Amino acid sequence: MLHLSFTRWSQAVLLIVALLLPLGMGPYWIHVGAIAWYYALLAASWALLAGYAGQFSFAHVAFAALGGYASALCAGQLGFSLPVAIITAILLAAVIGALIGALVLRLSGPYLALFTLAISEIFRLMLVAEEDVTRGMLGLPVPGLFTGKSDIPYYYLGLALVVLALVAMNGLLATRVGLFLRAIREDEGAARASGVDTTRYKILVFVVTSVIAAIAGIYYGHFIGILTPNIAILPEMGLVIAMAVIGGIESLPGAVIGAVVVFLLSETLRSYGEWRFVLMGLALILVQRFAQNGLFPVLESLGRRRQERRAAIPSVGGPSNG
Amino acid sequence: MSYFLLLAVNGLVIGLIFALVASGLTLVFSVLKVVNFGHGSLYMLGGYASYYLITALGLPSLVGVAGAMVALFIFGVIFERLVIAPMYTDKVERKDEYAIIVTFGLTILLSNLGLVVFGPFSKSPPSFMPGALILGPLILPYDRLIAAVVAVVLLVGLTLFLKRTALGQALDAVSQSRESAAVIGIDPRRMYTIAFGLSSALAGGAGALIAPIFALSPSMGDLPAVQAFIIIVLGGMGSVGGSIAGGILLGLVQGLGVGYLPDPNRALAYTQAFGALLLVVTLLIRPTGLFGRSHLRLE
Repeated sequence: MLHLSFTRWSQAVLLIVALLLPLGMGPYWIHVGAIAWYYALLAASWALLAGYAGQFSFAHVAFAALGGYASALCAGQLGFSLPVAIITAILLAAVIGALIGALVLRLSGPYLALFTLAISEIFRLMLVAEEDVTRGMLGLPVPGLFTGKSDIPYYYLGLALVVLALVAMNGLLATRVGLFLRAIREDEGAARASGVDTTRYKILVFVVTSVIAAIAGIYYGHFIGILTPNIAILPEMGLVIAMAVIGGIESLPGAVIGAVVVFLLSETLRSYGEWRFVLMGLALILVQRFAQNGLFPVLESLGRRRQERRAAIPSVGGPSNG
Repeated sequence: MSYFLLLAVNGLVIGLIFALVASGLTLVFSVLKVVNFGHGSLYMLGGYASYYLITALGLPSLVGVAGAMVALFIFGVIFERLVIAPMYTDKVERKDEYAIIVTFGLTILLSNLGLVVFGPFSKSPPSFMPGALILGPLILPYDRLIAAVVAVVLLVGLTLFLKRTALGQALDAVSQSRESAAVIGIDPRRMYTIAFGLSSALAGGAGALIAPIFALSPSMGDLPAVQAFIIIVLGGMGSVGGSIAGGILLGLVQGLGVGYLPDPNRALAYTQAFGALLLVVTLLIRPTGLFGRSHLRLE
């Protein structure tokens, strides 16, 4: 008998569904799905940063913008080849991520949130103002990654990035680093007193999550073909926060599912206009108020309980079989 | 010279409005230890509340402003009771994150509700008083003058309330120490609710005062909210006096900056970025604000 947990099972099933989905979908929904992967990358990495490590940052979408713009400018204005441009952008995000991580070492809670909010706004305003370089609100054209008009390669690239990011982050959390990050979140002083190098791990988590956010931005820019400073506006950050919180801020797969469900739902309900976001804001408040670990962990534990009950019945009812 | 005066006076009026918004934010921060990320949408809501009181019910303009403040007080009390209050029970583990998420959720909810209910197009309530005061080279529309005067009255009233009344002193006590205040018979939960209600009323009043000057739009609260964050950090989180001074200063600097810097697009972006930069630097040098006390300060 297979001893896969409900989580593994549901993740495997969802992955297969995601792999097969483009076969039965029109180009519009493949396009939507490919954008959903962008949000999934952001929501999952933000869940690691804010949920696991307790570093509530408003600058996450700014890192996506940083990655996207850096890659686009390197490939366009500076004439780098595409792979070099992408690697440069990722390295830049790692350096800036480390810098921000080092700067905010002393800040926590609302102070950290305000700091990252301001950093994010400064960066966005620079993108708006420096029209000579970024073309401001007109938008910066970005070369594509694949030839041809189909979005299917982007869809699978996005899916691969999400799976890779989840595997990498889960790998990181499975080591002692995961434990240290939790310890820092719960009580930084106590963690330091127990010998955890809090400085190192706080910077590390900023670097890892910033790089993932930047990769998301790079993917998005080359996929959509144009970048505007609006990629880093506060409502975009709000969308990512809502996705992660609704999916489960302490569960990386939960955040991915949250991102996909919230985004697909908002596309399905497009005809309702802004009511979708009213609903999202309400859902964000209600989930936070009544189910702080998100909706999907709740559903999952319900499912697991049912499965356990089902598993328990034969062992009680039919011992004679053995 | 007259150009400078015009910019300075306009900056001063906007600064007073900023000060109203920021003092409300400070009140909540010092008493509840919560940064209300939804403060800007309460400002927006106040603007629309007064608009509908004036245009639909035909109330006089200033009564509309007062009505908006009452409505926002009630809204703030209800929101605090329903959503913020559970934070003080053991059910909520990580209180900082909880407060950020629910107040930020309030912004998403209200600004989009504003879009569907009030519409994306800007609305203008009738002015408080048409015409302008002409003092030599300086032309000051009555709307701005009245908004400034009412803002000053509200700020002075707030300061006196906090300093002179028993309720104000109780708020101050809770802001200094929740436990000690509880020991001498002040119910901290009640003070939280009152502080949040008052703060919402101040934000709503500011929105209602600005309405005849700039038109109303569902996103009108975004900029003042960011300014208010900058102001409360600069003025020392928790300092009402610091918020007032910081608000006026920021309004002046930005008013002059936009007027004097070449290239209006850049000027607008960079005067906003300058404020954000001030916030970043202040937080780095003094994480608890320039004056570093987290309870109410009235000087």
